Amino acid sequence: MDTAIKYNKKHISAKNRLITAVLYLTLTAVAVFLIFPYVFMVSRSLMTVADYSQVPVNFFPAKPSLEAYKNIFVDSHYFKYMLNTLIIVAVNLIAVPLSASLCAYGFTKIKYPGSNFVFSLVLATMMIPGALLQIPLFVFFSKLGWLGTLLPFTLPSFLGGGALYIFLLMQFMRGIPNELENAARIDGAGVLTRYARITMPLCIPVVLFIMVSVFGGLWSDFYGPLIYLKTNPASYTLALKIYIDTISVNVSSALANVRMAAGVFMSIPPAVLFLLYQRKLVDGVMVGAIKG
Amino acid sequence: MKKKTRISKRKSIENLQGVLFTLPVIIGIAVFTYYQAAQSLYYSFFDYNGFSKMDFVGFKNFVNIFTHDKETLVVFGNTFLYAVITVPLGLVLGYLTALLVNNKLKGINIFRALFYLPVVIPAVAAGVLWRDIFNSDYGVMNQIIGVFGLHSRFFEVASSSMPTLIFTTVWGVGGSMVIWLSAFKNIPVELYESAKLDGANAWHRLRYITLPMSTPMIFFNLVTAVIGSLQTMSTMVIMGGGAGSAGKGESNSLYFIVVKIYNDAFGRGGRMGYASAFGWILFIIIGLLTFVLFKSNKWVQYAENN
Repeated sequence: MDTAIKYNKKHISAKNRLITAVLYLTLTAVAVFLIFPYVFMVSRSLMTVADYSQVPVNFFPAKPSLEAYKNIFVDSHYFKYMLNTLIIVAVNLIAVPLSASLCAYGFTKIKYPGSNFVFSLVLATMMIPGALLQIPLFVFFSKLGWLGTLLPFTLPSFLGGGALYIFLLMQFMRGIPNELENAARIDGAGVLTRYARITMPLCIPVVLFIMVSVFGGLWSDFYGPLIYLKTNPASYTLALKIYIDTISVNVSSALANVRMAAGVFMSIPPAVLFLLYQRKLVDGVMVGAIKG
Repeated sequence: MKKKTRISKRKSIENLQGVLFTLPVIIGIAVFTYYQAAQSLYYSFFDYNGFSKMDFVGFKNFVNIFTHDKETLVVFGNTFLYAVITVPLGLVLGYLTALLVNNKLKGINIFRALFYLPVVIPAVAAGVLWRDIFNSDYGVMNQIIGVFGLHSRFFEVASSSMPTLIFTTVWGVGGSMVIWLSAFKNIPVELYESAKLDGANAWHRLRYITLPMSTPMIFFNLVTAVIGSLQTMSTMVIMGGGAGSAGKGESNSLYFIVVKIYNDAFGRGGRMGYASAFGWILFIIIGLLTFVLFKSNKWVQYAENN
């Protein structure tokens, strides 16, 4: 009996070890495949122009060089465009959570006749394709004299918030007991105080999630800037500048290694955010809201 | 009596407060979404270049899209082909990847981060990178598959450019992996524990717990993936090209709906009325598809207590 059990246990642990080994092997194989383009991008960014244009292409630089990075940071070929990106990102990191949370608070904690209908109008905006709105918006911004300025990417955010973010915040606010609000109200707290001091501090996880998404969406977006900023090179964002260089044939081969370096540089903030945020992201702010 | 009026007065103040809180967004969607959508519908009945020229043409834009424009069939064909392949491919691969990293093995967080790494490559860099990797003369991909005696011209010939583009979407699998992982986290652990007690093996637990419990997320991802893939324009970077000819691919093989709208509206022709009509057709298609998806979601199992 005893030996049988022992044998069985040994058998199971051997089987488990095999499964674990197979798992690790699969994980490693998938990882090698998936990180290949990233590693290649880093490797290409460390090449000199001469090294870059070698045929056939070397996978690793003959002699790693920081020439491309020096071009970005010291000679400031791309760096100055980052300022525009940073302005847009900074304004939106404040404006989007602010307008989205004010709206979500109005829908959940105050509620007024017709607020459900207004909410459905907000949700319905998710269905309208960006390709449809960009043409009238271009005309609209052109009439306002906003083309070639950062205004199309900043001012509307104070009136926007985005349907998905409003929806997420509403789901979260619904989970906050109304007793908290009522107690504060009895203590004489006005509605703005209750919003800022009671509800918002409890919404910090969602607000963080929204900020991460807002950052990710704007940081590397080239398409919006392409439409509204194209006429004024001084207003280009980093992503747009890289795009313009890529499609214009004369610069495209000359600065290829610099664009790779810019790509590496641009990928660092989202990568760091992902690492810092991995737990929370996986714990699922999104899913809770969708199921609720 | 007096008390009642005081209550109703308080109620109306509260209503006003509610309206004020939501007012910025109401103004925002009115001005920047609904008004603009109406404008776009209006433009679609005009020969309009965005500036001075604006002639009423009735339904001519819509008629021309379906009868005269040779590109219409091409962009619809390409976009639907792309959507039909990449949506299921992305969902299944993302789901499998999430299952693969949904365990407590040592170092699993490192693998998750590595799997996610391609997702953080900015689109503009990805375009340059793919063109570099898949270059037919000196690209590194031909060196790799050359080991097996293979060679392809990838983006440079029409027949292989769509498969190549679809192949590149596989690297985006980390994005949906993260969403699936969070869906798995929300499945109550007790379900697995009681199933284990009942002697369910790993396959049974996947088939009868994980899969059904993640159907709301599968549905949500399906809807967003369909809507997203119909609006893809990644080829604008990969394929380059100047104003009016951006991102078409070899012999229009990678020409998508949204890229055509961009070229028509902002390219040399400046056909904003025509492009608006095209945008409305896309909108209607997306609306219909979303409607059909919502009508057919009987397989989605929402948790009962919600």
